[in-house]
Amino acid sequence: MKVIGIRKDRCTGCKTCELYCAAERCSESKTLLGAVQEAPAPQPRVHVEGGPNDAFPLQCRHCLQAPCIDACLTGALCRDEASGMVLIREDLCIGCWTCTAFCPYGVITPSPERKIALKCDRCLYMENPVCVDVCPTGALEVVDLEEIEKLLHEKRLATAKAAAGVPEGSLLLLDQGRSVKS
Amino acid sequence: MACIIVGGGVAGFQAAAACRAAWPDRAVTLIDAEKEAGYYRTLLPQFIAGGIAEEDLFFPPRGVDPLLTVLRGVRVRSLDCKERRLVLENGETLSYERLILAHGGDPYLPGILATAACGGIFPVRDLTTARKTKEWLADHRNVLVFGGSLVAVKTAAHLRHAGFEVSLVVRRGHVLLRALSPEAAKVVENHLRDLGIRLHVNAPLEDLRIKEGVISGLKAGGEWLPCDTLLVAAGTSPDTSFLEGSGLLTDGELVVNPALQTSDPRIFAAGDVAVIAAGGEKISPNTWPQAVSQGKRAAENLYRSTPLPLTDLTRINAMELHGLAMVTLGPPVDGAEVISYERPEAKVRRELFLIGGKPVGGALIGDISAAGTLHALIHSGRVIGSGEAALLRPQATGVIPFPEPAGRREALILSSKR
Repeated sequence: MKVIGIRKDRCTGCKTCELYCAAERCSESKTLLGAVQEAPAPQPRVHVEGGPNDAFPLQCRHCLQAPCIDACLTGALCRDEASGMVLIREDLCIGCWTCTAFCPYGVITPSPERKIALKCDRCLYMENPVCVDVCPTGALEVVDLEEIEKLLHEKRLATAKAAAGVPEGSLLLLDQGRSVKS
Repeated sequence: MACIIVGGGVAGFQAAAACRAAWPDRAVTLIDAEKEAGYYRTLLPQFIAGGIAEEDLFFPPRGVDPLLTVLRGVRVRSLDCKERRLVLENGETLSYERLILAHGGDPYLPGILATAACGGIFPVRDLTTARKTKEWLADHRNVLVFGGSLVAVKTAAHLRHAGFEVSLVVRRGHVLLRALSPEAAKVVENHLRDLGIRLHVNAPLEDLRIKEGVISGLKAGGEWLPCDTLLVAAGTSPDTSFLEGSGLLTDGELVVNPALQTSDPRIFAAGDVAVIAAGGEKISPNTWPQAVSQGKRAAENLYRSTPLPLTDLTRINAMELHGLAMVTLGPPVDGAEVISYERPEAKVRRELFLIGGKPVGGALIGDISAAGTLHALIHSGRVIGSGEAALLRPQATGVIPFPEPAGRREALILSSKR
């Protein structure tokens, strides 16, 4: 499953992702200049959280056990079997907002004018998510969870090997894979 | 011998789906008393008001599953725990290996209405009655909704929006008594009045007037209110009729542990019928999301040697009342500290109830931003700090608060004049 990963150290909180997401995914005109003149104002599906020194963009995490799917009163929220994404079928959404009360990340937002809930679908039917394409610092990127899992596996293996080779009576620094004599 | 699930509401359907997924080699039989099973009960107010088509009420069809049998229009007469079998009203007997009771409740009808023999009185509970109500409303426009529940408020708002003359009669002090504080309820009540709904609170039911076999008025709180239709949404009472003598009931209630297991380890319960005994108190959340989680968890626990408890028992609910969004995060608690943010002119009130610094409930009316984050905060059971309490202020930017940088903020103006 592919998800949007965030490099927190690279995010400057510029909100370019928010602007382009709203313009591309929620506006009629699909241009920044047109979008800012539209009413109701187009809403982004990614939100830059935090302060000047701790900014990071947050969007739907497509939880494996997604509480929003269970909460949905009409079955509008569902998981796309092929991609693993949690998607919202806008034709079934009645705007009851129950899902917004169940998303622990607070990334499902109500659109009262359109009477539907909005959430990130990782721009599933586009080549690349808009936010990833426009991020000026490369803080957002599409990552494959399986690749991440492989990296984690390698790290676990290295840790296990380091643990196996620790001399008796010494202290093991798990994260470094090193040991020091006590 | 297989799994039997009694009840075709959302808890029952979720249980059936979860059971087939978790235990793929076990056959499942789902029994439902209604002729139609598997519809969104929460949409009935919209359906009655003509805001939603009947075909949109049903759950999306599932693929054919040879190990899942659905018996519709079948009632259970009795349960024999020792022999592990159910006796149906048609005389048939079904044996089970594991059983999930998810048959919900019956609409609560005050005595005077339960015995009234006249046309125009309908509970808001099931699809068959909802169809009759919709038919009736085609040539009756003066509706009285009795009850202060979420369903009653929703029904009144949707009918009013559809152009009906609507009065809402509430027995006690304010609407949504089990979910909202009086201050929060006031915001909702003002909105209902703005919609054009005539609201009567503190109005217990006293008398009925019947004209030519049809209801023509109702006396509540000492006042006669004319109407040609009475919709009752005053809550539900769990249906425990066929469980009498089974040994599963405690003081007339089907009490389960947090893993949704009854006193018989082979029998589980989920949804409106279950009363969960957790942490020294009895909880029956009676909400749609709870019914879904309970149905799932009960099914997953069926064959587990150590059934897992359901940890989130909060009574979260949300609704949109034609211009007023609201999320209830948990009922008011006696003695709790209340922190709130209010903007009455914009119909906004956001409040949290704290006990020992830990949020235990609250409500967001008019502005529901950060609802999910506040829910997660309540679920975590942590003492909250001032940063998290700031979540109560409507969020113009983000939902995760960060401290403001220390010191005064200054803007440097680059102007030729300076």
